[in-house]
Amino acid sequence: MSNRYSRQTLFPPIGKEGQEKIRSKHVLMIGAGALGSGNAEVLTRAGVGKLTIIDRDYVEASNLQRQQLYTENDVAEKLPKAAAAEKRLKAINSDVEIQAIIGDATPEKLEELADEVDLIIDATDNFETRMAINDISQKYEIPWIYGACVASYGMSFTVIPGKTPCLNCLLKTIPIQGMTCDTGGIIGPTVQMVVAHQTAEALKILVEDWDALRSAFVSFDVWRNDYTTMKMSRAKDPGCLSCGEHPEYPYLSAENRTKTTVLCGRDTVQIRPPHNEGVDLKEMAGKLKALGYEVKGNPYLLSAELEENRFVLFQDGRALIHGTKDMAQAKSLYSRLLG
Amino acid sequence: MNKVLFFAHLRDEAGEESVQLDLAGKTVADVKAIVAEIYGLQKLDSAMTAINEEFASNEEVIKEGDVIAFIPPVSGG
Repeated sequence: MSNRYSRQTLFPPIGKEGQEKIRSKHVLMIGAGALGSGNAEVLTRAGVGKLTIIDRDYVEASNLQRQQLYTENDVAEKLPKAAAAEKRLKAINSDVEIQAIIGDATPEKLEELADEVDLIIDATDNFETRMAINDISQKYEIPWIYGACVASYGMSFTVIPGKTPCLNCLLKTIPIQGMTCDTGGIIGPTVQMVVAHQTAEALKILVEDWDALRSAFVSFDVWRNDYTTMKMSRAKDPGCLSCGEHPEYPYLSAENRTKTTVLCGRDTVQIRPPHNEGVDLKEMAGKLKALGYEVKGNPYLLSAELEENRFVLFQDGRALIHGTKDMAQAKSLYSRLLG
Repeated sequence: MNKVLFFAHLRDEAGEESVQLDLAGKTVADVKAIVAEIYGLQKLDSAMTAINEEFASNEEVIKEGDVIAFIPPVSGG
């Protein structure tokens, strides 16, 4: 397909030279939900060299309304999002090397990946991970693009180490959550608007057109017809612990991390064991069946249900406990079954 | 007088898109406390503040005629 990128190379700021740059770059996508699906599809079609996608979740029916890479078949198979995304993206553009990682974007994992990536795109649903991305970005001098949305409201900001303020300059701390997808819902156009802003900035970074970057923080409401930019010329904090004169990268240290997380909008608690020794899923399925659980599975995970207890267990020992937001209750079920 | 703009869920909580208040001489932190009190806003501490469309820290002082906007960060993805 020799003319595959012709319309993109006709665009003067990209051109043939820009296309070669895009081809030589490696992008790390953190999350493969709504924003991850949209961002990954645009960059795969644009012909990025390599795309690494990390996600801890699997595809569910309530994702299909906005998460554009997934199908009803992925729901029926309960495929992990990273695996389903990989399959779809390879079908879209076989030139692009897709690396799918099923798991949590922990600071350790991000440090492992950081060496070889040119750009990080934020498609997560929580500020704990974003603050870790922000510290990794500063420590390894990798640009990253914040994006987030809820209901009809979305926002994006591009962080270039050494040039712009960072997320820690703007927020100072992990914000108290206001409205979440639990209460506010989310519509497809909000996702697409955030994706459009993130991917436009991504293409500028990949072709190294630094002057074209939008330096302002943008936020918008696609239902109320607001579009607001906030200039950032006074926002950089010289004392910032992430990007200031004496950085300590606070969100890479252990005390800023939880092993138990309530997942936004899911009525679900995730449990991540501290030591990753792996679980024998077949053996576990046998044990659960003996306890009366209804068990289904695939090579990546098993799902089990007994009365009000519903959970999914991944091979790395991670579990999603459904039907609860109570961390203690979730931990208790986990330890009852896995010790 | 100063115009104060609310975005996203802050607008729903306040019940207004914008309000007019006399805030000259107050810091951003003062304004957050005053506005949270009047309009019953729970999560204003986490919101970013812009003065005349420029990011402002909690220590910045409001001048007559400044337009203040509260922009809450969201986390969905």
